[in-house]
Amino acid sequence: MSFVQNFPFFSIIIAMFSGIVSSVLSGKKARAVSIAAITVTTVLSAFVLAFCLRTGQSYTYMMGHFPAPWGNEIRAGVLEGLTALLFGVVMFLSVVGGLRYTEEDVEPSKQNLFYIMIDLMLSSLLALIYTNDLFTAYVFVEINTIAGCGLIMMSQTGRSLTAAIRYMVMSSLGSGLFLIGLSLLYDVSGQLLMSPAKEAVARIVVDGSYQIPLLVIVAVVSVGLAIKSGLFPFHYWIPDTYGYATPTASAVLSGLVSKGYIFLLIKFFYRVIGTENAAHSHIINALFFFGVAGMMFGSLRAIMQTDTRKMIAYSSVAQIGYIYMGIGLGTQAGMIAAIFHIFSHGATKALLFISSVGLYKVSGDRTDFLALRGSAYRNRLAGAGFLVGALSMVGFPMLAGFISKLLFATSAFASPHKMLITLIALAVSTVLNAIYFLRLMIGLYRPTKSGSFVEPAPAERTGGGEEADRKGRGAKQAEKGAGPGSGSAAAAANPWTMRIAIVCFIILNLILGLFSQPIVSAITDGLAMFG
Amino acid sequence: MRVLLPVLWPIAAGAALLAYTGICNSKKKASPGTAGHGRITALDLIYIAALALETVLVIAAAAGGGSVRLLSLTDTLTLGLRVDSAGSLFAVLTSVMWLLTGIHSVAYMKHEEWAERFYGFYLIVVGVLVGIDYAADLVTLYVFYEMMTLTSLPLVLHELTKEAVQAGLKYLFYSVGGAFLALFGIFYLANVCGDLSFTAGGRFTAEMAAGAPLLLTAVFCMIVGFGTKAGMFPLHGWLPIAHPVAPAPASAVLSGVITKAGVMALVRIVYFLVGPDVLRGTWVQSAWMVLALMTVFMGSMLAYRENVFKKRLAYSTVSQASYVLFGLSLMNPVGFTGALTHVVFHSAIKTCLFLFAGAVIVVTGWKKVDQLRGLGRVMPLALACYTMASLALIGIPPFSGFVSKWYLATGSLASGTGALGFAGPVVLLISALLTAGYLLPIMIQGYFPGQDFDGKEIGERGLTKKEPSLLMLVPIVVLAAATLLLGCFPGPLVAFVEKIAAAVM
Repeated sequence: MSFVQNFPFFSIIIAMFSGIVSSVLSGKKARAVSIAAITVTTVLSAFVLAFCLRTGQSYTYMMGHFPAPWGNEIRAGVLEGLTALLFGVVMFLSVVGGLRYTEEDVEPSKQNLFYIMIDLMLSSLLALIYTNDLFTAYVFVEINTIAGCGLIMMSQTGRSLTAAIRYMVMSSLGSGLFLIGLSLLYDVSGQLLMSPAKEAVARIVVDGSYQIPLLVIVAVVSVGLAIKSGLFPFHYWIPDTYGYATPTASAVLSGLVSKGYIFLLIKFFYRVIGTENAAHSHIINALFFFGVAGMMFGSLRAIMQTDTRKMIAYSSVAQIGYIYMGIGLGTQAGMIAAIFHIFSHGATKALLFISSVGLYKVSGDRTDFLALRGSAYRNRLAGAGFLVGALSMVGFPMLAGFISKLLFATSAFASPHKMLITLIALAVSTVLNAIYFLRLMIGLYRPTKSGSFVEPAPAERTGGGEEADRKGRGAKQAEKGAGPGSGSAAAAANPWTMRIAIVCFIILNLILGLFSQPIVSAITDGLAMFG
Repeated sequence: MRVLLPVLWPIAAGAALLAYTGICNSKKKASPGTAGHGRITALDLIYIAALALETVLVIAAAAGGGSVRLLSLTDTLTLGLRVDSAGSLFAVLTSVMWLLTGIHSVAYMKHEEWAERFYGFYLIVVGVLVGIDYAADLVTLYVFYEMMTLTSLPLVLHELTKEAVQAGLKYLFYSVGGAFLALFGIFYLANVCGDLSFTAGGRFTAEMAAGAPLLLTAVFCMIVGFGTKAGMFPLHGWLPIAHPVAPAPASAVLSGVITKAGVMALVRIVYFLVGPDVLRGTWVQSAWMVLALMTVFMGSMLAYRENVFKKRLAYSTVSQASYVLFGLSLMNPVGFTGALTHVVFHSAIKTCLFLFAGAVIVVTGWKKVDQLRGLGRVMPLALACYTMASLALIGIPPFSGFVSKWYLATGSLASGTGALGFAGPVVLLISALLTAGYLLPIMIQGYFPGQDFDGKEIGERGLTKKEPSLLMLVPIVVLAAATLLLGCFPGPLVAFVEKIAAAVM
């Protein structure tokens, strides 16, 4: 056994222990520990990925040496390594990009709590990725829920408490359903480890016994994880949650946490139920249907928003819909597209959340479209980051979103019954995406009366008209010398950590968009290893 | 490298220009647009030199040929550029129009703010357009096509009035909607065909077409989608809104050149990817012909009723661009020749007309058609150029429009599409009459305002003679002369286009 094979276990434990240690540290030190833990686990994940790519196979890693049906197992393959690596990178950039805002938004005495939650979140995400055993998965699902609630509450505005409670209720419902599914599975198969459970399920399918319980298991687990990942119509917790948390928390929750559950669901389909059986059950059609409905509904609601955070959050509802649509196609190609979209959406949405904060900061901390008008001039880097993120969401070529759409569309052709619906859904939702993102982009790049932020006057609120715009242009030159320089405002809003994060996110998007081939083939290999 | 340069150079130059003005802005804290008011600055010269160099680079690439592979998006989809004669025709046309309009824009932008920003985006767009023309496959074309929409948007938005922003939004939504309609077709073709690189005559054989049930639908989606940029019905609504709000030089290239990017995309899809043999005689051809003819008629009709001068010209573009699309929809060599020659002629004519409109705005400030009475006494030479371009657009020999319309009409009769083929020349004739109806009154009122008209009611300056400055006048004169010369000696151009037609059919 190679030493590298211990790394998945190490990374989960490192993340978990850094959380425990942080509870007695000050905020600053907890932050350092947290960033170090994320860095180390990301590097370890890279090693795991390299190891699996080199050997070309996956391995299981037994903890505690309890034999089946109990036991704790970790499994690592190309897909696990890749997911852990990308999640780690996104996590790192989200935390680093939001450092300053975390400092401002979270009470000093609770700084270390925030980073404890981040550590726990990381360890539970890694565990969800690596676990080969359903009960461990359940335990970490619960840890993930608690950490998520903590992250949402941290900003401590009135709305964030409501949002956290709402999240708590919905998430508990989801975990409850997941637990019921597990219990039923244990009843009919007597197994909790994935590989033996899969054999047992295969036997059940061949026997023809327990057909209905099996269907119920698939349904209950799917619905449970769908609630937790915010699939339409269980998305009601999303807008408040993502809208009122601190930037880092929003980026992590929207970019990673919901994706962790989806990854678990995919693993459940592949490693426990078997893709054939999953594809035959009608559950997958239901996922497809709700995925498509979510794409439409999320985009339509996003168009109706006038608040940027809410708009981005509703856009997440639509993007989660894309992923479920890919899973719902029930083909290998659809699954590859869904997994690629997990990555591309994770990278893009986190970029949007982080860079949008830079825009709010130069607009008097307001998030409505009117206040943000022209903010891309006041904070150029954040504007550029938002532009790249928005274009990627819309599916602009050479960015991550385009490859996702391409993969979804090509996979649609492989499943004739769902082809037309998929293509129409893609086309309509792309146009809807374009409407709300590009409308906002034009607003962001529309100059205002002066270089710095001014409170929008009531007259302008009601649609000021050309007159105001003309005056604005004249006034701009006059005020520019007197007002606070846009350069210094941007500098205050963009700490260097955030600059690095935005630039890295943009690069990540470009990498996913331009050099997708190795990633797609790695996903394909990884899915083959799921077998 | 020779292929890559004409794409990269203007994009790099434009980006550098934008970055430079950005730095200047933050240092000087003053809008640079007002800095050198009325004078030619070093920046203007650099800008013209960059455009001239671009023209040289494009011509060098067209002469030298070659291809370059940029990178692979997936294992089957690659990005690459390749020079061929159809691409060269469009690219050279684009760069020449860009240079002439660029010279005009230096004078025009002295009367607008944010000239440097305009220059920057103007330079970037030409690189992107040459990228469309030299694209080696459909994916590359699509990438540049989307980039064109985004980079030309600042030209439409330039004045940032409420009107301009609304026009910009409309432009964006139509373009994005059209592009994604086309994207559906691209996805389908990628799935059926695998390799999307262009070959003269298309990649599809009859058997392949029979094995792809949705092929015709996909092609139709792409025709409607890419037709958006060429202002084809039903997605023409943005054009008459967006073109006139831009500064006149931008309107000129939007109408004269960028509409041709949509045409280029359709040429590539129909004649270089799917193949005319597969489409000839199908419902796609009939539907395309009907849409094109409807647009031809509707555009002329709307232009006839329009009073704002630039808007009238924009409606005229709707009509004239669909002449080209009609020629392409015939799918025979004669129609194809007519279409591509009309691309060149219309480009020169419409650019000339819009530059004239720009000169009128700068010199007199008149924007409405009924204000233009007596214009012949203010700027007789420019109005003469306008007259030449108008006659060419109507299609009166020996001006250039006659040649292309002749090919279009004969191609239509020879297309073997029955009633539609005969309807073609009729609609073209009616539209030519309407064209005369909406262009010539300006000239007549301009030169012959009537005995009683002394211009007092127009303004204090009345009808004192004042030709536009040389920078504005020269491009107008050159283009007007081109419409006449190309009409008198169309031989080399027609022979060149016929060679392309022979290769694809």
